[in-house]
Amino acid sequence: MTRFDYIAKDPVSWVILSLALVLMPHAPRLPAWTLFVIPLLFLWRLAAIKKPQRLPRKWLLFIIVILSSFAMLVHYGTLFGKTAGTAILAVLLAVKLLESRKRRDYMLLIALSFFIIVTNFLFSQDIPTLAFMLITVVILVMSLIYINQESAPLKLRQRFKMSLTIVLQALPMMLVMFILFPRISGPLWQLPDDAHTARSGLSDTMSPGNIAQLINSNDIAFRVKFENQQPSQNQLYWRAHVLWYFDGRSWEQGKLNPNPDPVLETFNAPVEYTVTLEPHFKKWLFALDMPGEAPVKSHYNNNYLLRADKKITSLYQYQATSFLNYRAGNILSPWEESAGLKLPVHQNPRTVALGRQWRKQFNQPVDIVAHALKQFNQQNYVYTLRPPLTPGHDSVDQFLFNTRRGFCEHYAGSFAVLMRAAGIPTRIILGYQGGAFNPLNDVLTVRQSDAHAWTEVWLENQGWVRIDPTAAIAPSRIEQNLNAALPKNETRPLHMHLDMGVLKQLRFYWELMDNNWNQWVIAYDPELQQEFLSSLLNKKINFADIVYLLVFTLTIVTLAIAVMILKPFQRTTSDPTQLAYEQFCRKLARSGICREPCEGPVDFSLRAMQAHPQQKDSIKLISRIYINLRFRSSNNKKQLEKLRHLIRKLKL
Amino acid sequence: MQELPLIPGFLARYIERWAVKRLPDTDYQATIVRQRLYILPTRQGLLFTTVLGTILLGAINYENSLTYMLCFLFASIGFLGMIYTHQNLNHLRLGAASAKAVFAGQAAQFPLSISSVKQHSHYNIRIQCKATDAICAHLEDTETESLLMLPVTTKRRGYIQLGRIKIYTEFPFGLFHAWCWVELNAQAVVYPEPDAHPPQYTHGGRQHGHQMTQQEGYDDFAGIRKYRKGDAPNHLAWKAIARTGDLQTKQFYAEAADEIWLDWHQLADDMDVEKRLSVLCRWILDADKQGIKFGLIIPGKNISPGTGRQHRHVCLKALALFGIEA
Repeated sequence: MTRFDYIAKDPVSWVILSLALVLMPHAPRLPAWTLFVIPLLFLWRLAAIKKPQRLPRKWLLFIIVILSSFAMLVHYGTLFGKTAGTAILAVLLAVKLLESRKRRDYMLLIALSFFIIVTNFLFSQDIPTLAFMLITVVILVMSLIYINQESAPLKLRQRFKMSLTIVLQALPMMLVMFILFPRISGPLWQLPDDAHTARSGLSDTMSPGNIAQLINSNDIAFRVKFENQQPSQNQLYWRAHVLWYFDGRSWEQGKLNPNPDPVLETFNAPVEYTVTLEPHFKKWLFALDMPGEAPVKSHYNNNYLLRADKKITSLYQYQATSFLNYRAGNILSPWEESAGLKLPVHQNPRTVALGRQWRKQFNQPVDIVAHALKQFNQQNYVYTLRPPLTPGHDSVDQFLFNTRRGFCEHYAGSFAVLMRAAGIPTRIILGYQGGAFNPLNDVLTVRQSDAHAWTEVWLENQGWVRIDPTAAIAPSRIEQNLNAALPKNETRPLHMHLDMGVLKQLRFYWELMDNNWNQWVIAYDPELQQEFLSSLLNKKINFADIVYLLVFTLTIVTLAIAVMILKPFQRTTSDPTQLAYEQFCRKLARSGICREPCEGPVDFSLRAMQAHPQQKDSIKLISRIYINLRFRSSNNKKQLEKLRHLIRKLKL
Repeated sequence: MQELPLIPGFLARYIERWAVKRLPDTDYQATIVRQRLYILPTRQGLLFTTVLGTILLGAINYENSLTYMLCFLFASIGFLGMIYTHQNLNHLRLGAASAKAVFAGQAAQFPLSISSVKQHSHYNIRIQCKATDAICAHLEDTETESLLMLPVTTKRRGYIQLGRIKIYTEFPFGLFHAWCWVELNAQAVVYPEPDAHPPQYTHGGRQHGHQMTQQEGYDDFAGIRKYRKGDAPNHLAWKAIARTGDLQTKQFYAEAADEIWLDWHQLADDMDVEKRLSVLCRWILDADKQGIKFGLIIPGKNISPGTGRQHRHVCLKALALFGIEA
């Protein structure tokens, strides 16, 4: 036996393999030192297979546990919560491995591996994660079999087949329970602070660079399904935040707008749509300019924004309506007037001076707006993801007069400063613009890379009017997408390169599947369960009904699978000769000649021949062939065929 | 006997008593049927269930769909494990044969045959008799029968019955313990334990028959005589055979006296029965080893002198069953 065989034969190798597999997806989230320590502990255990005296002493393990707990505490500031919790569990498992020698210990490790598997879903619930976990489950089950077979008669292939069979047989039961197990809306108790770690997403402030950062993220922000008509691309302004306050560098929401009632006059029928929002762990709901009324479990605020009552911690769906043709806030409140004109003193003097000059130059605010946009369009401004830095207080001055290269936040920000200096109340709007329609299911996917900033200016008789300065510089950003708007020679994020040709088509399919996955699997909550089961059974369903349904269906499915495995109707022999002869005996039994348990075939045939003298010959022949096949040559196909034929032909 | 998992001893004994009442009449073979096959979760099964419960709580708390999904998958796998464990034991047919005779204190090796009524594989079938260690058996679906030896420790001389054995398995997952009690009709003769320090054998206790003339011992060469059927082959006088061409047998003094009698009454009167049997047992073994023709006299039984394995067995069996057979 080679050294490798020796290692592969030891059950602990399988335990280590299982642990490595279940911990692997956690690796990017673990502190760097654990990526060194955990494999080291694994190797230590492997090295001790042949020489158990190499295993560390208890006190050493104790020190490792204390040291790593301390390191975790320093790294995360806590030992609880999902990130720190899985990290400390990973180390503890590796330490436990070093003192595991018996089946009992291995069983504990495998049981905890099952637990580690599901912790992966706290971080990602997409299809590839599930696929990887299912493969891991098959290997875990193989390990479980390996640990429990002492003298190892099952070969690797047999164990794999057995494990795969069991997992496949478990799937129908799993499906029934997944659909019918009565869902309870959680949480049952307060979750740790990091229960929902936010991924990079839209923020509620705007400072140079923070939207450009999002462009690299291909993550989906939300998906939209329109009820009837799809608005054109340049109407897709998804409103998220209204920023009033500028400190010279970044824009913030500032104080709450005390304006009591947002007034919205509408001129055409609303657009109706359903939004499936990825969890962003904030209360923000996104809607097209301008949302009509608040969906359920949310409210409408006086900046024409939608806010949910609770943080969005899991995939969330809402129905919204928006009016694309509107007049908003015809009457400007004093608070809005002062907030909409406020500028930090002694900052960006050149920009402020330019705005004041325009105010003198033009009579109408509309003309000022038009002139400003014209300036952006004609004066060599470049739309780019990588603008030069504009440090210091006068960043707007530097951008407008020196660098002239910027992204939507630069254009929106500087435009707002110009307008405020010219005496036009202006505010910044943050949100998303555009999105990509999937032609396969007409679902619009809006990604983090669609993040955008634009402005609203207040004009007499028109109320708050949306002005997007970016459209003046790079109209294709609004008409098509960001990729089209960027200069040809600019390096683009990876996901934009992948977005063409066959890959684009494949991506549509993938997104279609992903969307359905999200809608039906990830978002399967108490409400969806109720809705789905009610529509399935065509009646209103309550909690008790779901329980009955679960018990009933699960019983049937379980019985079916148990029958499949146990094969209670299977004959006790598989010898074809015997089967044929049993048929012969049954035929005779129907005519009243039963074979006694201790009666040999010869005696039986003699009795049968007496009872059926007209079939004497064939009974004799059948018995003779049977005896020949059964007791002399067991493998004669021709004789067997003849036996079967004779038995079929036998008429009593 | 191996305890049942998670069941306290007194309850396990109660369960066993109840289960034994349901056993069919003892036969040389038995088939495991569903009605007499019992299954319980093991300690590991309980651990697994606890982990599942924790996962379910996590799923509810984090409202995590895939955690629900995998929790249900694991539960289904565990449940299937129960069916597989049951299936692994069900439909096994066991047959037992009588074991070879052993001396008290040695383990009697009962030959067992295991076959599958339904011709599917059975792995890690463990068979245990009373306090002995379990033996492990496997039966691939291509095999028709598997033969193994079940050791049963013996304490006293006489007959030992195979009696009740426990067959159990925890394969494939170790989460469930399926077992079955089976009573098989097989027995073995247990000879008395040979006495370690027997009193010196002395001739003369015998009052009738041939009087022994030589006292020197059994090994002294006495001469050569013609071969008679039944003579031990290691006593053949090869040199004489080569010389004469006829079969010749060496004769020794003790043998020259023809035969010895191992007599119950030869031993001290105050010796108790078991001790006497032990000493006689040892004498028989010694005599047999040295190829001496011996006879045995015990109360109620008189075995005329002879040699060979069969004779030895007859004598030892007489000792083993002394006072037991009516």
